[in-house]
Amino acid sequence: MDLGVFIQILVWGIYAGCIYILLAIGLNLIFGVMKVVNFAHGELLMLGAYATFWIYTFSGLNPYLVIPLAMIILAIVGVFIERLCFRPIMGTGKLNEIFLSLGLIYLFQNLAAVFWTTDSRSIHSPYSEVSITIGSINLPVDYIIIIVITAICLIALQLFMKKATLGRAMRATSQNREAATLMGINVERMDMLSFALGSAFAATAGSLCLISGQMVNPYVGSIPAIEAFAVVIIGGLGSIPGAIIAGLTLGIAENIVPLFLQSSVGLLGLEMSFSAWKDTIAFIILIIVLVIRPTGIFGEKEE
Amino acid sequence: MKLDRLNIKTGIEVVTLILAFLLPVILEVNQYFLTVLILMLVFTMYSSAWNLLATSGQGSLGHAAFFGIGGYVSAIISNSFGLPVIVTIVIGGFFAAVIGVLIGLTCVRLKAWFLAMVTFGFAIIVQTVTVELSGLTGGWDGIPAKKLVPVTITNHVMYEYYIILLIAVVVIVIIYLIMKSKMGLALEAIRENELEAKVMGINVTVYKLKAFAASAFFTGIAGALEIHHFGYVTPEVYGIDISFWPIIYSVSGGLYTIGGPILGTVVITAIWEVLRSFGMTYGRFILIGLILILIVIFLPKGLISIPEKIKSKFLKN
Repeated sequence: MDLGVFIQILVWGIYAGCIYILLAIGLNLIFGVMKVVNFAHGELLMLGAYATFWIYTFSGLNPYLVIPLAMIILAIVGVFIERLCFRPIMGTGKLNEIFLSLGLIYLFQNLAAVFWTTDSRSIHSPYSEVSITIGSINLPVDYIIIIVITAICLIALQLFMKKATLGRAMRATSQNREAATLMGINVERMDMLSFALGSAFAATAGSLCLISGQMVNPYVGSIPAIEAFAVVIIGGLGSIPGAIIAGLTLGIAENIVPLFLQSSVGLLGLEMSFSAWKDTIAFIILIIVLVIRPTGIFGEKEE
Repeated sequence: MKLDRLNIKTGIEVVTLILAFLLPVILEVNQYFLTVLILMLVFTMYSSAWNLLATSGQGSLGHAAFFGIGGYVSAIISNSFGLPVIVTIVIGGFFAAVIGVLIGLTCVRLKAWFLAMVTFGFAIIVQTVTVELSGLTGGWDGIPAKKLVPVTITNHVMYEYYIILLIAVVVIVIIYLIMKSKMGLALEAIRENELEAKVMGINVTVYKLKAFAASAFFTGIAGALEIHHFGYVTPEVYGIDISFWPIIYSVSGGLYTIGGPILGTVVITAIWEVLRSFGMTYGRFILIGLILILIVIFLPKGLISIPEKIKSKFLKN
């Protein structure tokens, strides 16, 4: 395989990984504090992408500047979901959360379909024509901006969790809810905050998908959400470093493995396309990891 | 008192059964209406089978895998070996059960969300594999399947309805017997507290695998019946919707009960068809999503618990 092609695919993989990481971090934040898995996280990505799309269409601002607005809108949506749906069922069993999330998926996807139709929409990034060329390697500037934005988000989150009082209160809640309550932390406010932050990260992921040229329709959230769950599970529920490592690995593996398989099958003289296996690969990796370690690679030990 | 309640319950069951038998006769035979009823029966079996697995605390998000495998295997065998459809349906069920045990083996150590994701993933993997084996399965175009009752017979849909009704009754009675047997108790114990169940001497792994096998078997049969009713099968049978329907039906009817999935299937399908007649495409899904959310929050035991709730309210007053 040509080195230039390899590096290009690597950057593709890192870019895909960034979207997964942003989603997975949101899921992990919510799980860490509330011990709840929001299966409807992909729908928040979809809503975030639509928020960016409409603000951009009506205001004509630089789409990258619209992202903070989309984050705020989705944070509010997240707070509503937490208060109205997840808070009443907390502690009633893990299956209930899964069923409730299914309801949310149906609700959001089809509300979006009713309000905004199922047409695929896309926008043009102002930098879509610009790319950096190093030798035979050709990197679109948008990908580099996306990778930088993800890095900024992660660093900001890290600083918030380590330095800010609220962030420390959140970490305390995720470590021990009762003890945190006794220390005077309003744990229910922490639930809201974690959901707001998680939704805002999902909005970022959605906006970045949209700006990088992907089509947005009401069903766009499902596939990235599934991949993000794979990332969360491989990296371990609640583990943020795990999510970053697993997200990058999955993003790169998804893009390289089909090509690798194709070229190795090609050596045997067979012609086969593995592009249909892109989503399947995430699950095969997921299942192998879970068979070996039922709580994920970086997950807590059970019992 | 206890006897009375038992009598009322069996009474309701008998009346429902008689109604189910007479329904096509009472209402003039309308092809569309019969198809809705047939699908209702198929999904009653499917939801009951899903619910059987959920009773052991394993909420699968990928039961369409078994539904589709049952359908494909039955269609392929009946096409290439010329066996009667009734036989191939059972073979399809057995094949689904074997795959179910294999999937179950990877799932025995997994908890709620992990299990949900793995089963969900299996449905997608099975779909990809089915499409890739295009020599056998026809790829995305699918393959034709024999009709359950040949089209040449007059009123064949009516015969199909009665055959499927009979199979559905048998399947649900078997599931009822399983749920009431020692195995059902063991599954409930595992759901409530796996560690305690282990301490009580229940072999958790074996029971979980048995639940997977039984659930996959009945799901496979339901899938095969649907395929042979429609007369063709495509990879869309593995769709996410097909995996989610039994969950919606069981949750809204009442989890871990016999009547719940049946009631849920009938009520939700009825709502669905009424909304269809109003010409709502996305509105239907919005309403179904809302119903699911409201039931999970306010009526966690499902529609079947409404009489109980009313009774306890009256007793309080």
